[in-house]
Amino acid sequence: MKINCRPMSITFRVVLFVAITAVFSLSVIGTLINSAIEHHFAQQDIGELRVINQSVETTLSQQHKAKVPLASSLSKAVVGHHGVYFQVNSPTGALIYSNSPRDFSDLILTLPASLEFNSDNITTHNIGKATYRVLVTDYRDQQANYKITVAIDMSFHMQFLGQFRQSLWIIMLCSGLLVLLAAWIAVYQGLNPLRGLSRKMQDIQSDNFEVRLDEGQVPTELINMVRSFNLMLDRLQKEFLRLSNFSTDIAHELRTPLTNIITQSQVGLSRPRKLEEYQELLFSNLEELDRLTKMVSDMLWLAKTQNGLIKPEQQVLNSDTEIAALFEYFDALAEEENITFIKRGENLTFYCDKLHFRQLVSNLLSNAMRYTAKGSSIIVSITKTADGQACISIINPGEKIPAEHIPYLFDRFYRPDKSRTRHSDGAGLGLAIVKALVETNAGKINVTSNDEATCFNVFLTLVKNHN
Amino acid sequence: MRLLVVEDEVKTGDYLKQGLSEAGFQVSLARNGLDGHHLAMTELFDVIILDVMLPDVSGWRILQSLREANNAIPVLFLSARDSVDDRVKGLELGADDYLIKPFAFAEVLARVRTLIRRGGVQKIADILTVADLEMDIPKRKIQRAGKRILLSNKEFNLLELLLRREGEVLPRSLIASQVWDMNFDSDTNVIDVAIRRLRGKVDDDFDVKLIHTVRGMGYKLEAELNEN
Repeated sequence: MKINCRPMSITFRVVLFVAITAVFSLSVIGTLINSAIEHHFAQQDIGELRVINQSVETTLSQQHKAKVPLASSLSKAVVGHHGVYFQVNSPTGALIYSNSPRDFSDLILTLPASLEFNSDNITTHNIGKATYRVLVTDYRDQQANYKITVAIDMSFHMQFLGQFRQSLWIIMLCSGLLVLLAAWIAVYQGLNPLRGLSRKMQDIQSDNFEVRLDEGQVPTELINMVRSFNLMLDRLQKEFLRLSNFSTDIAHELRTPLTNIITQSQVGLSRPRKLEEYQELLFSNLEELDRLTKMVSDMLWLAKTQNGLIKPEQQVLNSDTEIAALFEYFDALAEEENITFIKRGENLTFYCDKLHFRQLVSNLLSNAMRYTAKGSSIIVSITKTADGQACISIINPGEKIPAEHIPYLFDRFYRPDKSRTRHSDGAGLGLAIVKALVETNAGKINVTSNDEATCFNVFLTLVKNHN
Repeated sequence: MRLLVVEDEVKTGDYLKQGLSEAGFQVSLARNGLDGHHLAMTELFDVIILDVMLPDVSGWRILQSLREANNAIPVLFLSARDSVDDRVKGLELGADDYLIKPFAFAEVLARVRTLIRRGGVQKIADILTVADLEMDIPKRKIQRAGKRILLSNKEFNLLELLLRREGEVLPRSLIASQVWDMNFDSDTNVIDVAIRRLRGKVDDDFDVKLIHTVRGMGYKLEAELNEN
């Protein structure tokens, strides 16, 4: 089972694409801003901690010169810093001094400590409701060893960051939606010319086939499409015209024999006649009916070739054999008309349905005879083309076919000389049938004509291996 | 020779029956598929002419019943639709020949005679004679009233065809197909010209004419032209 999969709508595709891009780039921007601010706060905090740490170390290093107890020196060590705490413990963990509402003693033994201020050792801890950055350093000098803990309350920063993030996301969401809306409007607007074209196309009917889309009124992207569409209309209009002419022609061609049959039957029956006259009437009717029958079968046959219902048998034919058979067939007629047939060129083998080949060449030969003066010769020439095809040319001396007729020669009912509305034989379908026969057998046909001769060239596929 | 014609179209049926009867056949006409089926299965015929598009029991069905009953009677089917599928179907079901409407009556007659001939084993005569014309096929010699007649190859084949099917009207298409192997309807009057030339050699110098034109149908060879 074939699943009919319609491509996604253009609007949906564009909007989806824009949405993905917007989400991606806005997320990247948001994350960058967020981490930049976080980084900035962290640097600020580290700076604070460094200052405090230094002050405490300085106080400790000058304690041996001090007259006051260590705790009171330390209480004066840091002034003017808000939200920044420190405490000093003995190496065993006993609290010596702390200006913090929290006791960080429990952290001292677990956190890594170094002699230098090392920002890599700063850790974040939630203690109670607040969050602190905490750093522990070891202090050593000749007199004593201490563990210094510095901490900074970052709840304020956290709160600020939270609010900032919230508004950042809202702004991004809004701008994202705005971008989507803009994209949707752009697509809708962009497709406007297409809707206009579609409206115009709807107006095109078989009775106003000459309407064309205006190339000047569409954006550059659509010019090619409009051009192709107009060209398609040109072709359709031409075909349509041919078809409607064709129907007219059929009606015309049918009318003549029908009129003959009706008239002669009515006249014949208008009063009693002799037996021979009735016979004559029936014979004459029969002739007209034969003509009608032939026309109907030919038309049906042509219709079938157009619908691909004629399946030729791919046979390997030999040009000498086939042309000889055809010449033999026309022998009596040619002698009667004092026309000679001449075969020239190579002996080639090619693919074609035998019946079709004989019929098409027979049609071309009888067509050639029609235009050849008595006493002249018709040449059938067999040549190999440069691109490896067999070319069967039927050449007859005669007047030049005016160039304006050439493209229509193979049209049904087309006759170069309009004055001769009815041929002695055939209804003007002969060449149309020839073309259909050639094309059914994957061949090509063309005509060339000059002042001396007219030449029909039939191209068929050569049989490759010559053994 | 008994023929069965199964044809629902009244006029076609009537004229087929009349034409075939006048050509010397005993014709039964069935106007619908049911009667046709019954007649085909119960009575003996030499050839059945079967229209495939019948309102009740289709021609295909009748043909199928016949073949299933191992009845190998020759069947010629008539069809208004000239589609390859139809033809293939008919021939697959065991039909012996087909004709597409509109067909020429002469064609029907010729095909029926071919089917009958195919059925019986016939000795192909080497020397054909009609009236005072004698044709020796192996020696390729033709004499009329003791006078030697010289013909070209194709003229020889043409005369042989006419002689072998003496008294039968041969449509132009059949002549083109049998003598020249041109199996299509041609616009040209090639056959007429060929016959005219043959007449020139066979008939012109003699009082009794053998080759006759049947207007609107074709040609036949007959010693006496029965005027009717």
